[in-house]
Amino acid sequence: MRCITCVTEKEVLYGKRVLLWLQRILVLYFSLPLSLMLRSLQIGLQSMQVHQQPCHIVYTDYRPTPLQHYFFPSGGNGLYLVVDEKGKFRENSFQKALNALVPPGEGDKKRENGKWQKGLFVGKAGEDSDIFKMVKMIIQRQYDPVICFSFSKRECEFLAMQMAKMDLNNEDEKVNIETIFWSAMDMLSEDDKKLPQVSNMLPLLKRGIGVHHSGLLPILKEVIEILFQEGLIKCLFATETFSIGLNMPAKTVVFTNVRKFDGDKFRWISSGEYIQMSGRAGRRGIDERGICILMVDEKLEPSTAKLMVKGSADSLNSAFHLSYNMLLNQIRSEDGDPVNLLRNSFYQFQVDRAIPDLVKQAKSLEEERDSIILEEEDSLENYYSLLQQFKSLKKDVRDIVLSPKYCLPFLQPGRLVSIQLIKVDDNLPSFSVKDDVTLGVIINFERIKGLSEDDTNKKPEDASYTVDILTRCAVHKDEAGKRTISIVPLKDPGEPAVVSLPISQIDSLSSVRLVIPKDLLPVEARENTLKKVSEVLSRFAKDGLPQLDPEDDMKVQSSSYRKAVRRIEALENLFEKHEIAKSPLIEQKLKLLHTKKQLTAKIKSIKRTMRSSTALAFKDELKARKRVLRRLGYVTSDDVVELKGKVACEISSADELTLTELMFNGVLKDIKVEEMVSLLSCFVWQEKLQDAQKPRDELELLFTQLQDTARRVAKVQLECKVQIDVENFVSSFRPDIMEAVFAWAKGSKFYEIMEITQVFEGSLIRAIRRLEEVLQQLIQAAKSIGETELEAKFEDAVIKIKRDIVFAASLYL
Amino acid sequence: MRGVQLSLNKTQKLRLETALEKLESLSSSTSNNSNASVTVADTIPINYEDGVLKGHGTSEMDGRVVATICGLVERVNKLVYVRALRARYKPEIGDIIVGRVMEVAPKRWRLEINFSQDAVLMLSSMNLPDGIQRRRTAVDELSMRSIFEENDIVCAEVRGFQHDGSLYLQARSQKYRKLDRGQLLRISPYLVKRRKQHFHHLDQYGVDLILGCNGFIWVGEHVEAKDDMVLDQMIKSEQENASLSGSVSSREQEQSHTSIEIRQHICRIANAVRVLSTLGFMVTVELITELVDLSISHNLDIHEMLGAEFYVVVAEKEAERRSLATKKR
Repeated sequence: MRCITCVTEKEVLYGKRVLLWLQRILVLYFSLPLSLMLRSLQIGLQSMQVHQQPCHIVYTDYRPTPLQHYFFPSGGNGLYLVVDEKGKFRENSFQKALNALVPPGEGDKKRENGKWQKGLFVGKAGEDSDIFKMVKMIIQRQYDPVICFSFSKRECEFLAMQMAKMDLNNEDEKVNIETIFWSAMDMLSEDDKKLPQVSNMLPLLKRGIGVHHSGLLPILKEVIEILFQEGLIKCLFATETFSIGLNMPAKTVVFTNVRKFDGDKFRWISSGEYIQMSGRAGRRGIDERGICILMVDEKLEPSTAKLMVKGSADSLNSAFHLSYNMLLNQIRSEDGDPVNLLRNSFYQFQVDRAIPDLVKQAKSLEEERDSIILEEEDSLENYYSLLQQFKSLKKDVRDIVLSPKYCLPFLQPGRLVSIQLIKVDDNLPSFSVKDDVTLGVIINFERIKGLSEDDTNKKPEDASYTVDILTRCAVHKDEAGKRTISIVPLKDPGEPAVVSLPISQIDSLSSVRLVIPKDLLPVEARENTLKKVSEVLSRFAKDGLPQLDPEDDMKVQSSSYRKAVRRIEALENLFEKHEIAKSPLIEQKLKLLHTKKQLTAKIKSIKRTMRSSTALAFKDELKARKRVLRRLGYVTSDDVVELKGKVACEISSADELTLTELMFNGVLKDIKVEEMVSLLSCFVWQEKLQDAQKPRDELELLFTQLQDTARRVAKVQLECKVQIDVENFVSSFRPDIMEAVFAWAKGSKFYEIMEITQVFEGSLIRAIRRLEEVLQQLIQAAKSIGETELEAKFEDAVIKIKRDIVFAASLYL
Repeated sequence: MRGVQLSLNKTQKLRLETALEKLESLSSSTSNNSNASVTVADTIPINYEDGVLKGHGTSEMDGRVVATICGLVERVNKLVYVRALRARYKPEIGDIIVGRVMEVAPKRWRLEINFSQDAVLMLSSMNLPDGIQRRRTAVDELSMRSIFEENDIVCAEVRGFQHDGSLYLQARSQKYRKLDRGQLLRISPYLVKRRKQHFHHLDQYGVDLILGCNGFIWVGEHVEAKDDMVLDQMIKSEQENASLSGSVSSREQEQSHTSIEIRQHICRIANAVRVLSTLGFMVTVELITELVDLSISHNLDIHEMLGAEFYVVVAEKEAERRSLATKKR
């Protein structure tokens, strides 16, 4: 680092590793000239601030090879140019593309099955699948080479398999590919050459079709990259990783999907992702324009599409987080002050930059508030607070009466109830003394099952219930096809429907019960029932619907109830006497007052955020984490790193606290080397496997020990007010590859361990490489506590796992 | 009596003994017996636990854990190690040390720091005087003596260990520098406790105090640590001024001259450190300033601080302070 005169940094912002880079820039001891290729100016500004150096911005918005964006509707036959090379969005061809989609009925069915890509994979019987048609078309029009992006490794391989019939290379090229392939594979041992992934790949490659994703053996990945660069692969199926960090453009880019699974749901790909991936289209100096094809299998709004295709890069948000390792390393050097590091963090920078905006917001809100001028504000305010009180009292009463304890026996089918109307659009509460209510008929009620398991030992009174009520509803269908139902007054137009409501939405129970038809499915039956309701209503029009008396009928006996009722009566009297109640414009005035109050509250909350952001953003977390370190005996109360802390300082590739605790508890001491390696694999494996088989008993035992330790660490953290989910933390240690790594350490061949687990070859290799990294750090750690035996053991472990294909040298070196 | 020969008269001897006895009783009552002291070849009881980690200063013999050095047994969870008393300095990463340059070697200096071997300070891991970031050239290498020469006193930070166990230092900020115009004291490393701060600027005396973790203590005239760039600018502007007025020589003179008061302060502080180390008390900046104040309040001359009477007073004072502290607890 010392001899560098200029740090050049490209695309500083992807993933975890790069984050490290950012921190490194922050802690660079000196201000070197930095040249960064960034997507965001903010970073530049920040490094300027940190290093107190001028920042020159070279900005380019121009693409040397323009892009054309096409849509390919699934099941359709042609491409539709949606955005031309001048960046114009063509509405009409967009509409045409959508119209060419498979009829929506079919689409709906697909959606219900929850398999979005079905059409993509199978196509209609007897026909080729869409992707096959697509690639064929591309080849015919000589748009190759092409990269097809999809968002999962399995899908990638599956799609490639569909191309089985296609042959894109001539004999010469085939020979070439074979030579390149085998000369690269030469460094593998005979056994490894027989790996299914290796042997299956060659026939595919020879036809000019490649697959590239993180699950591949690193060496295969590199071979494919090389072949692609040489133009020997015409059609490459890749995951997103191919678009980042590699400079391998093609003429055409195909998105096989417009939705991406991001951990918990499928979402539209963001414009930033789109830019990154479509940026691979068009080779500079070779193609005069790049082609980018989006395969659409469902309707999408023009705005969504526009946003995706033409949107700007994702805004950059800091993912900076404190780690204990970082903290300890800062604490132990005399200059290092974790607070300093935080002050210079990008997150802090962003927060700081937001402050002027907040100030402006607060100011404009204040102006708005002051512009609202009311006459007789005092008495209005008085009235307003009375109203609030009245409402809350009424709510109290209702809560008491309608608590399941009292009202359950009365929720029989057929009882007429009045329901509160909830206005959807305006959130202003109503200001009249009366509530807006409508009538409905109870059909049924049921208990809501809570998510927690201990529901059974709750008393029935404590559980919450929903009531199915037949009433007049207005049914809206919004664009997404989602139905929203809102209850409307009885006389308004709308269809009769059964809705389930929480008990709290019921206003009161009447003493009237209707006979309801058994079958409520036909609309007429429901309509009739509602007619009956209005009949009843007109019959009782004179003195209102008889209500169930809370005390006599429902046996509500609680002093708080009585007190509340008495206070309501008193308040009602007050309302009548109140001078302002008679003023004709009371409603509007109250509304104004309400908005004013809301504005005040908003201003307050903005001011609060401003105050909290002027303080250090991570300060609380820093404090909490230091507390953890002290509690666990890593540092002393005056911030001096203890022995345990020194060990944790060495470990940066795994969870430092858990691993250190494990080591100091002597768990690693008495077990065999293979077992130890296998145990450590839990620290480096992050993917989740659904149906991984359980490791054998000895390993299982070790794993439980690990879990106990992890749980203890997590609990201490929780006690020290670090935001952490204990169970989540514990389950972040995955035992899935323990067995495989155990076998690997025992000296098994790679194809043998691949038979043990279901994981992708590349993932396993990456895990083992990281494991080696952890072991190297552990060697340092053992050295620092002077435990020579353990040190020797770690060294032994490194020798055992560092062999063959897993540590095969890169082709690029 | 810790190998120190003081010429004490009878009453002084008696007072010192009572004070020391008091201290001893205090320390034995506060410290629990878990860290029992051992000598070489003593067996350390481990209660037949599994998975005991044997740290520094221990070894296994016939299934027993045996101490290989004299010292106190320390336990952290299942790790057992022996902490040596009055040994040579044992470096740890991040320690601030003060050392003396023994040799100028190719691209590196060798420093004596009271470790079992010389520490290495690479040319590449230290600031160049001009403060510019660049590759070290052959010219830099040739002019290494202009930065540090043999017998210079230098402070630096422990960077880490090489695979062969040799110790590497770094000095990457302005505060790690050549130390001049002051005194170097050598005390036992165990008397210097590791703390967050080892550089101290005693404002009231205009003195810098560096408590090296290796037991080398520097007391010297205060030097303002300046940022490279700021320094450059200042020098430039001053040079311009100087060229106008032609007063370069007077400025230089002023720089090389240490006023008599500061010299006295330095001696006083150094003597305080000496007293503390002979009595075997921890050397911390608080205690040092306390001693200096004490000596001033007793109207003692600098040389009288090393007299028997002051030792006795300090010992008594310390005994009193500690007994108060334990009572409070």
